[in-house]
Amino acid sequence: MRELELYFGPQHLGMVGNFSITLKVEGDRILEATSKPGYLHRGFEKLMEYRTWIQNFPMVCRINVVEPDSMEMVYTMAVERLAGIEVPERANYIRSIYLELARVGSHLFGLWAYSNLLGFDTVAQWAMYHRDLILDLFEELTGGRVYHIYIWPGGVRRDFPDGFKDKIVSTLHSIGGCVPDYDATFFNNRLFYERAKGIGKITQGEAKRLGAVGQVLRATGTKFDIRKVEPYAAYDKVDFGIPIREDGDAYSRIWVVRDEMIESVHMIFKLLDKMPEGEVYNRVSNPFKWKIPKGETYVRVESSRGELGVYMVSNGGDKPYRVHFRTPSYTHGLIILEKLLKGASIADVGNIMISLYVVAPEIDR
Amino acid sequence: MNNSLKQEIKSMFKNIKVIISKDKSMLINARKDQLLAVLKFLKGKGYNHLALISCIDWEEEKQFEMVYVLTPYLQRSKKVTDDWRLHVIVKFRIPRENAEFITAIPVFKNAEPYEREIHELFGINFEGHPRLTQLFLEREYKIPPFRKDFDTRKYVKEFFDNIPFVTEKK
Repeated sequence: MRELELYFGPQHLGMVGNFSITLKVEGDRILEATSKPGYLHRGFEKLMEYRTWIQNFPMVCRINVVEPDSMEMVYTMAVERLAGIEVPERANYIRSIYLELARVGSHLFGLWAYSNLLGFDTVAQWAMYHRDLILDLFEELTGGRVYHIYIWPGGVRRDFPDGFKDKIVSTLHSIGGCVPDYDATFFNNRLFYERAKGIGKITQGEAKRLGAVGQVLRATGTKFDIRKVEPYAAYDKVDFGIPIREDGDAYSRIWVVRDEMIESVHMIFKLLDKMPEGEVYNRVSNPFKWKIPKGETYVRVESSRGELGVYMVSNGGDKPYRVHFRTPSYTHGLIILEKLLKGASIADVGNIMISLYVVAPEIDR
Repeated sequence: MNNSLKQEIKSMFKNIKVIISKDKSMLINARKDQLLAVLKFLKGKGYNHLALISCIDWEEEKQFEMVYVLTPYLQRSKKVTDDWRLHVIVKFRIPRENAEFITAIPVFKNAEPYEREIHELFGINFEGHPRLTQLFLEREYKIPPFRKDFDTRKYVKEFFDNIPFVTEKK
């Protein structure tokens, strides 16, 4: 049979954002795949060197469109560590609740994308609707629906408004009440099982060798979660589990996502119960006049897609000298995808890509 | 354990500088030819997750600094002690002119895209890298764009201001 070169993308169902792959195919089997990122390269890391520490916030959250909140968190943590800024206890709890809400929202978005791709349109509509309910909460809390810029060096920008706790609880209850419906129509559905089982399989050893994190690694039976390994915000104050699966295929990955969502909801309830009273913001000096002491640091958080880190260098000036983000989609989208696509069929390309949970803007930055 | 690891590294490698900083990272300054040996040693010690390869352009000192961030893949939360929360940051200084470095792919497979990115954005050549092709950018630049002497604002003005608007004929 004749070998063909097939250009897949940059716009297709398999990806949130623009990202293309060049496939070398024979029949409908893929012999070789080459990732082609770059459609969303905005050079944020370079642009940050031209702006003051605080001016960078609007850019930081645009690196990951689906879940900008952990981006804010990791940047804030790095600045706080370099400048030695303390955070009040209540702000830590609020940060954790906020990040978990963002995780649920992001997973619902992922569920929308995945079910939409496989043709489960009903489930996709539900997931989008439920994500919208969470965006409503964000809108009330921060004023923005998608980009919030809520976490700030020294704490969070404002306290919960009156009655906000109850709103979180009722929203999460109404989403949680639909879990049986989701299970019946999607997760336990034979069609989903047949479509995802055994697709894009990766072993634990290979996943570790290729630098996998997040669901991709946890679906191979590794309990690796930054929230446990290096607790930040208030994650060391609550008890929560890390869902894992053993098989390492698309089916396991999406089940890990489902279990994580439920775990996050439980965690938010626990955090809300324990939340102390007090200040949410430590007064810091005028951020427009900040000069951050010389130093370097690497901090990391668990975003909805895995380990998200930032390496930050300050030379004592009012702007960062170098910022480099380590995003989870980077290794997933560039080398693990290439590996998993080898030998797969063309019909599974989107399926594998979306089960790896890759967001293109995160790769390009 | 941190201190014993520090001593071990110091006795294994000559002329190596090891500092443990306040924020629980171990900063190692090594020479270019020690790259593979140091990474292999740390991987054997349990720091088996290469989180990031970064590069810093120290323009005034006419040097590039290659940065490798290593952390362990930990499994059970109960056994996690402070020692294992250490981030190992290995750094190498190389001259800025005709920058050459060695690939880390023999030790860490996932070094591949990071090195490609640094090759493209800083113009450092990695000896032994199988495909140093373009990753993000669509055109060639005289000065690699992430170097400090590349002025983004000037470039944007020169490049994008000269693109004429579309004028439709009526």
